[in-house]
Amino acid sequence: MHLAYLDAGSGSLIVQAVVGGVAGAAVAAKLYWRRLVARFRRQPTDQH
Amino acid sequence: MAHPDTGVRVDPGSFRDPGNRVFHRDGEVLRGLDERSARDWRALAGSGFFRTLLAAGKLCGTEEVAPTPPWSATLRHERIPFVSHPYEWSFGMLRDAALLHLEILRAALVDGFTTKDGSAYNLQWRGTAPVFIDIGSFQPYRDGEPWAGYRQFCQTLLYPLLLQAHLGVDFQPWLRARVDGLEPDQMRRFFGGARRLLPGVPTHVHLHGAMQQRNARATTSDVRAQLREAGYSRELAAATVRGIEKLVRRLDRRPGESHWSDYQRTCGYSAQDRHAKERFVEEAVAAAGAPAMALDLGANDGRYARIAARHARYVVAVEQDPAVVDALYRALRAEGERRILPLVMDLADPSPGGGWRGVERAGFAARTRADVVLALAVVHHLAIGRNVPLAEVVDQLAGLATPGATLVVEFVHPEDPMARRLLANKPDGLFPDYRREEFERLLAARCRITRRAELPSGTRTLYRAVVNG
Ligand SMILES: C[S@@+](CC[C@H](N)C(=O)[O-])C[C@H]1O[C@@H](n2cnc3c(N)ncnc32)[C@H](O)[C@@H]1O
Repeated sequence: MHLAYLDAGSGSLIVQAVVGGVAGAAVAAKLYWRRLVARFRRQPTDQH
Repeated sequence: MAHPDTGVRVDPGSFRDPGNRVFHRDGEVLRGLDERSARDWRALAGSGFFRTLLAAGKLCGTEEVAPTPPWSATLRHERIPFVSHPYEWSFGMLRDAALLHLEILRAALVDGFTTKDGSAYNLQWRGTAPVFIDIGSFQPYRDGEPWAGYRQFCQTLLYPLLLQAHLGVDFQPWLRARVDGLEPDQMRRFFGGARRLLPGVPTHVHLHGAMQQRNARATTSDVRAQLREAGYSRELAAATVRGIEKLVRRLDRRPGESHWSDYQRTCGYSAQDRHAKERFVEEAVAAAGAPAMALDLGANDGRYARIAARHARYVVAVEQDPAVVDALYRALRAEGERRILPLVMDLADPSPGGGWRGVERAGFAARTRADVVLALAVVHHLAIGRNVPLAEVVDQLAGLATPGATLVVEFVHPEDPMARRLLANKPDGLFPDYRREEFERLLAARCRITRRAELPSGTRTLYRAVVNG
């Protein structure tokens, strides 16, 4: 994987999805949904 | 610049991207590319958008030359006549520079390329035409990735424009103080209350700042992967760029009228004075023999910069008042004048060296070697208005010129109404040296005075002088 020389900023990458109209908002929503799901999946195992 | 033209000199402003680096040799501007950058360059050179933009003059002239070790490939760039920094530009200039950056990015995306960064320092000027200079910034677009330069674009281009357009705050000091521009979190403080809703502010400022905070611990490689999986696409990247472009187009509030905006009407020159002055200036520049660079200090509406441009190849017009520079920029563009570069700068506080070690962005004095210097009706502003000793003012005028250069200076006598007005703001007798004889003595110590003329009004003297070697 190639790495950019510049720190693009994690938040700065995500916000670009949000400002990209309806399609962009859908991508952002999907990203957050996946993060949420990943969190819930992790939690039960965390408790052991 | 005072560097030996033999051997290689690495440009101190070109180190952030290790994949390519600008250096100077034999007066040429060259760029070394490592293996990956060389591959990107070859792909770029074969792409349609690149050739189109190059032919249109929107990209800095570039061709490949024999490689210089250790680089895999070497490019030679067109020399930009005078390097300037974004904090020396007017609002309209920064806005046009931003629009060009976005136009180039949009065209690149269509052909499957993107830019690695989005800095205002990617742009320079040929007169009043912006030019994208960072050819090393192009790389093939990778599917599913947003623009890596967006944050930099916000910090060095969009935020300064928002400050000026929405709040009427001059952006130049902010950019000058911070080589990386304004942070989203700083911007949020400017745009509280009802200002939250101004165009561009809810998303590019507030949401952007909030997202940065909330994702502070996520790495950009993770986020890139997440966005790709969530379906981010090149079409989306292009839509985002179009959205920003639309926003920047809306931000076109002109800086308001200022004290100096109406100078030519209120300056108190008679028509005779003006004719005599114009003739004197024109003859002096013509006699300088096609000078490469003329500098007009305190240029105001650019009347004398335009006269200088009839004989000089390039004119840099320096003026402290941002609103006046903006009006000049728009006027020059409308006239199609392409050899005058207007810049915002206070001569009593010129651009210092900035960035790493103070040399990454060269200060004004380090960039300037003029063949002609015009200082018309500006010496009294420095000597009386700003208390700069007259000897220092003369030193500075000569210091901005090459040896053998022509200096054209107007000395406003202390009896002149404009000088009297400035003197009236200072205690009596504060400037005993501010006299014509003393000015002439100081000038003669550094230059050979070759011509002298009294303006018909009798309270102003013009000098033409050749700077000592
Ligand atoms: C009296 S006008 C002269 C304009 C023009 N040079 C001419 O001769 O018609 C002075 C101009 O110098 C500018 N000026 C005054 N002090 C300055 C400074 N410290 N740095 C840059 N410009 C300055 C003013 O804003 C104004 O536009």
